[in-house]
Amino acid sequence: MSTPSVTDRMPRRTAGLAAGLFALVGIILVASLAAGAWPMLGAPRAAANLIGAVWDPLRGRYGVAPFVVGTAAVTLTALVIAVPIALGVAVSIVHQVGALGRGGILRVLTVLTAVPSVIFGWWGLQMVVPWVRAHVGGPGFSLLAAGIVLALMILPTLSLFFAQALSKVPNTLKEGSAALGATPDQTLLRVELPFAMPALVNGLVVGLARALGETMAVQMVVGGQTAIPAGLAAPGATLTTQIFTDMTAFPPGTAGHAVLDIMALLLLAAMYVLVRTAERWGSR
Amino acid sequence: MVRGRRLFGLSAVLAVLGMAGFVLVLGSLLKSGLPLLTWRFLTSSGNVGIGPEILNTVVLCSITMIVTVPLGLLVAVYQGEYLRRQSRRVRELDHLRATLMSAPTIVLALAVYRVAVGWWHWPVSLLTGALALSVINWPFMVTVCRAALSAVPDSYREASLALGASRFETVVRVVIPAALGTLIEGIGMALARLAGESAALIVTTGVNVSQHWSLWGPGETLAVHIWYIRTEGVVSGRDAEAAATGVTLMIGISVVLWLSNRVAQLFGRSEGGYDGT
Amino acid sequence: MEPKLRVENLSVWYQRQPALKHVTLSVEEGEVLALIGPSGCGKSTFLRTLNRLSEEQVGVRVSGSIMLGDLDIQESHVDVTQIRRRVGMVFQAPNPFPFSIFDNVAYGPRLQGVADPGTLRKIVEQSLRQAALWDEVRGKLRRPALALSGGQQQRLCIARALAVNPEVLLMDEPTASLDPLSTAKIEELVGALRGQYTIVMVTHNLRQAARISDRTAFFLDGALVEVGPTRQIFTAPQDNRTEQYLTGRFES
Repeated sequence: MSTPSVTDRMPRRTAGLAAGLFALVGIILVASLAAGAWPMLGAPRAAANLIGAVWDPLRGRYGVAPFVVGTAAVTLTALVIAVPIALGVAVSIVHQVGALGRGGILRVLTVLTAVPSVIFGWWGLQMVVPWVRAHVGGPGFSLLAAGIVLALMILPTLSLFFAQALSKVPNTLKEGSAALGATPDQTLLRVELPFAMPALVNGLVVGLARALGETMAVQMVVGGQTAIPAGLAAPGATLTTQIFTDMTAFPPGTAGHAVLDIMALLLLAAMYVLVRTAERWGSR
Repeated sequence: MVRGRRLFGLSAVLAVLGMAGFVLVLGSLLKSGLPLLTWRFLTSSGNVGIGPEILNTVVLCSITMIVTVPLGLLVAVYQGEYLRRQSRRVRELDHLRATLMSAPTIVLALAVYRVAVGWWHWPVSLLTGALALSVINWPFMVTVCRAALSAVPDSYREASLALGASRFETVVRVVIPAALGTLIEGIGMALARLAGESAALIVTTGVNVSQHWSLWGPGETLAVHIWYIRTEGVVSGRDAEAAATGVTLMIGISVVLWLSNRVAQLFGRSEGGYDGT
Repeated sequence: MEPKLRVENLSVWYQRQPALKHVTLSVEEGEVLALIGPSGCGKSTFLRTLNRLSEEQVGVRVSGSIMLGDLDIQESHVDVTQIRRRVGMVFQAPNPFPFSIFDNVAYGPRLQGVADPGTLRKIVEQSLRQAALWDEVRGKLRRPALALSGGQQQRLCIARALAVNPEVLLMDEPTASLDPLSTAKIEELVGALRGQYTIVMVTHNLRQAARISDRTAFFLDGALVEVGPTRQIFTAPQDNRTEQYLTGRFES
């Protein structure tokens, strides 16, 4: 697109400048985090400290393992609960709702993706924490409670992606399968799900990214304990909640703040990997 | 149940379960919050109302949108209308945009905090919050605009170019008018997302309401207020107040989404021209 | 008389793939030239090079010269938008903008800075009359263009192209997506425009070429095989390959 039109010169330059600024903002974001992280990462002994399981800033112990474990546990719990339900919602939308109702349901799901995380957090405090305390034991504030809250939170996003994936399966395929004597269940399992798999995985990755990055809804119910959690019913902390609670406690320049920068970089790198993964699956 | 349709039955049960979860969330919110929702609560400040929080939310969202809508549109136009599709630069910008968009807002806020508060010595204030929200929303706006512009068929572009329009004239007179409905709906989604943001704002705009309102002063928003009085507040038993704030926020978000949808349909349906003479 | 368009030694490549090889061809002022040939023979590429629309695609390289009057449109200092105002184009599928009928036709004049409502109305009416659409849309100019039938949309696109008062009109299989009745109307319209505008038209429909063109050019594998008066091409082609194509021995 090399149109050398005179009237295009100024607008092209302006738009290019905006894109350049956009890239610059991205670079500054990463650079400022890297600059903050350097005092830790640059010193081998301090860096070795990071891998540990003990978080005790007063004694200079900065192991991030508790938060990595917490993040993994909360995210996995959320996905294990949300993925089957979202699949159920998607199958129901595609197969059991008429075209008229479908638009309405999709619209409701879109609105539900916009429900703020503090509202889920509020609900978690109101219902989930007491429920966990009463039925599972422990203080109630726990990885499990965070996982349940998060599951509900990512449910609309997952359902929308899954429904879109399933609705792209061509009717000719379904009819072909039915004509060969397959029951609706068999068609779903052997034709529709395999055909929609790349798009389903893409949706899963998007949901995973949302779960990994959620801060407030988790922070309100997870308990904030900085040791390696003993189990799902035990309180814990995640990478995002720990950045949130400690970033005003440790002013920039301290070792504690440097560790937060490292955790932030870790999350950014994870997001980049997820973006590339989603892209690969999406383009199949 | 019809034979061979067990999975469909199971799906329906799961779907009902999921919907029940949301009814539970929104239902309990309404049940606790609605009784407190009075005119006085919406307009007063201090311990009895959320007037300043409403103002701060509106101000922050407005500043952010004024900054990011043009910037997002420009980046999308550069990528979609000026660069070659599939070119390396387009792909790299797309990766950056997608990564920033899915990055936790607290991570972006951490970086903004270091730059604005640490390096530039800005105070924790509405302005710092607006900067953080702009960084958070820019990639989202680029995504919205990219999707809207690329949904416009290339045959429109070709027709316009063949009539002697430059790329810029084509974008302004054909592509953006044709994409207007989708753009407006996307802007509504962005506004809803911003209004609900809390983590990034707690650390950049703070949890206080200043006596003398100023852009350089702290300014708690509705979403932050819910978190603050429910978890950090010294007075216990303010669940209902948090819920009422939550109801207010949800009403605001629903109105924004509904309005943007209506306006979008208006533009989508009549497919109106650009100046009407 | 000087030809309106003089193409000399024109070659076009997509990436490394040659699409057009050393084409030399002249178009006289006011004539209708039909371009025929099997799919992928380069006739559409040729058409799109005449208003430099081909360069909007990725990886296109063009060599040779195209003289419009005494202007070489390939030269880099020539403003492409100026060329496209002198060389209009109608596409294979009707592509009106999602605006009103009026705004569609007024689009080109407005680009050139015409803002006076009276003048615009005059141009729109005249263009719609020329495109034989006026009687069908009179009084409905505010209606969305997309509500028109396919044939009407295509005539609207012709009116839109005529509104900028071009010297040359390029038509890329303008009836390919239309029913027989609409096709007949467009053909009639082309006949009426002959003489006023120089028209270059790609068509898959051999009878159409025979019916409405003054001269016909036959393309094969990116090369111009032969060009001559339509009657001669269809009755006594010089080249063996032309005859084979006309008698249906190529897949088209």
